[in-house]
Amino acid sequence: MTFFPWKRALRSKRAWFSALTILGLGLVAGLAPWLAPHDPFRLNPSQASRPPMWVRTALSAGQPEYPLGTDRYGRDVLSRLLYGTRTAFCLALTAVPLAAALGTLAGLVAGYAGGRLAAALMALIDLLQTLPSLMFLVICVLIMRGQLAPTWFNGLLTLVVGFAAVNWTSLARLIRVAVLRLKTQLFVEAARSVGASAGFILLRHILPNVLHLSLAWIINNIPAVILLEAVLGYIGVGVTTAVDGDEFLVISWGGLFYAGRSALSRNPFMLILPAAGLLLLSLSFILLADFLNGLSRPEPD
Amino acid sequence: MLAFLLGKLLRGLALLAGVTLVTFLLVHAIPGSPWNNNLNLAQAAPGAGLDAAGQRELNRRFGLDLPVWRQFTRYLIGDVEPEGGFFCGVLCGNLGPSLRQRGRTVLAILFEPPEGQSGWESRFGYSLRLVLLGAVLTTGLGLPLGVLGAARANSALGRALSAGLAALVSIPNFVLGLLVIMVFASWLKLINVLPDWDDARQWLIPALVLAVMPLASLARVTRAAVLNILNEDYIRTARAKGLTRARVLWVHVLRNALAPILAFLGPALIEMFTGLLIVENLFAFPGFGREYWRAVLALDYPLILGVTLLYAAGFVLVTTLLEAAGELLDPRLRPPPAHREAP
Repeated sequence: MTFFPWKRALRSKRAWFSALTILGLGLVAGLAPWLAPHDPFRLNPSQASRPPMWVRTALSAGQPEYPLGTDRYGRDVLSRLLYGTRTAFCLALTAVPLAAALGTLAGLVAGYAGGRLAAALMALIDLLQTLPSLMFLVICVLIMRGQLAPTWFNGLLTLVVGFAAVNWTSLARLIRVAVLRLKTQLFVEAARSVGASAGFILLRHILPNVLHLSLAWIINNIPAVILLEAVLGYIGVGVTTAVDGDEFLVISWGGLFYAGRSALSRNPFMLILPAAGLLLLSLSFILLADFLNGLSRPEPD
Repeated sequence: MLAFLLGKLLRGLALLAGVTLVTFLLVHAIPGSPWNNNLNLAQAAPGAGLDAAGQRELNRRFGLDLPVWRQFTRYLIGDVEPEGGFFCGVLCGNLGPSLRQRGRTVLAILFEPPEGQSGWESRFGYSLRLVLLGAVLTTGLGLPLGVLGAARANSALGRALSAGLAALVSIPNFVLGLLVIMVFASWLKLINVLPDWDDARQWLIPALVLAVMPLASLARVTRAAVLNILNEDYIRTARAKGLTRARVLWVHVLRNALAPILAFLGPALIEMFTGLLIVENLFAFPGFGREYWRAVLALDYPLILGVTLLYAAGFVLVTTLLEAAGELLDPRLRPPPAHREAP
């Protein structure tokens, strides 16, 4: 890691801010099962709709057991918030790399192969980019509800598949253009002339030269997937509860926000905290990406 | 020129056909039936939905008992009515009947204005007006903010601007919309919670909520593009030969930064189309985004398909136009003339 400009990173306030926020929230996400005071899934009707512990209303009083109160099913808000962090990180660390792997592979093939295969791949990419992504995801949520086991895993899987299925296309385009440029270069031609196979050339000569594009794409798309997860949690909860009464069993900040909508007067923290979490995490990743992108420019004095 | 436009048109139509097929298959993979999916009905009285015979009759009436490929040809090309007589499908611009809004076709729901009013008053007209207003706000505010951010990049103003824009990009529009409703409608009473859409001023808030994310990202893209060009040699030359800062910035720099900005405008507008679904729902706005949610909750297949197709058509139109504009402006972007692949 000697090539990384540590000195410049240490001087940048934004790099500090984003690194600390991401690390802090990442710790919360990793330690959620130990930090959370309650099981975030367990329904407890006798404790439903409690306000935060320092509030006492005519209807019910807050209890120190539930620091931020409970939702309308009696689930602990603090625990759900901590597990929501986990979902956001889980998704960022699975869906984005998955989409990046798909996109890199497709881009390599489309760029190097040429002919019908490349044309077919490009047509597929065009098609997927024309598909209205939010609507595609809503239909995914509708199709996958009730399938597999009705667990949080199902909800998370829907989000991962839904995101990866459409979002690899933009990276594939980038990689394809880079490969088209690389494949006419001398070192590739030299490798071909000594009889290297296409797979070997792609893997050993071209892939290392486009990998930085994939990495940059991953960093740049993590905020997008975190926001998308929030939107999907938000509409996913709305859509699945309305369609057949079962809950969208993934604890996401967007879903918490949706639940907080109706609890506004009783417990505004159900609304504010997930929104703040979203803002912080997404902002940190954007600032991190900005910092990394800006490294190629000379430092302002 | 004609061949160029014709090629673009054909490509757009082929894309739309592909999207129709994919969406059709996906929509029909949704489990459940539109006839017994009404939550309110099921809650009010369990088993109050249609009986099996009634459902069979409705399935037959709307062709839902046919195999999927037959349903697709029925949707795309047309079919023979049960009473005899032929009706034409999507190819003739007929998006089919709505399953849940009795007696209305999808086209009528989306495009038909209320009795005796202009086309702008239809669902589609409302949404289109909102998007246009949002697009004006996006370019009208995003572009100058981006240029300003780049020109003052190393001052306090520039740094604040870039941090602010990054923050705006990270707020999802449903969060922002709800905050705006809370602050402006519930506390400050500047807008009505249930706005009167005949009053033009009421449109500003939803349009702004819709435009914030594309606006901020456009400003960020503009800022980066302008910053890149400010480092070029010809800019130093222009300054050295005595041109004013403003002239260099607004003429030399902006013109050269325009290509990446234009390339970004398409995705930004599409982002806004997507935002419509959320914003219309939040503000109870009578456009087709709200109609879409109603269709999803009722599993009204033709209406879901119809709105999705309308979206895809909008995407194709916007991207094709911007692509054509980009290629006309900058010959380097044109695809090279077709040549044979070397063996």
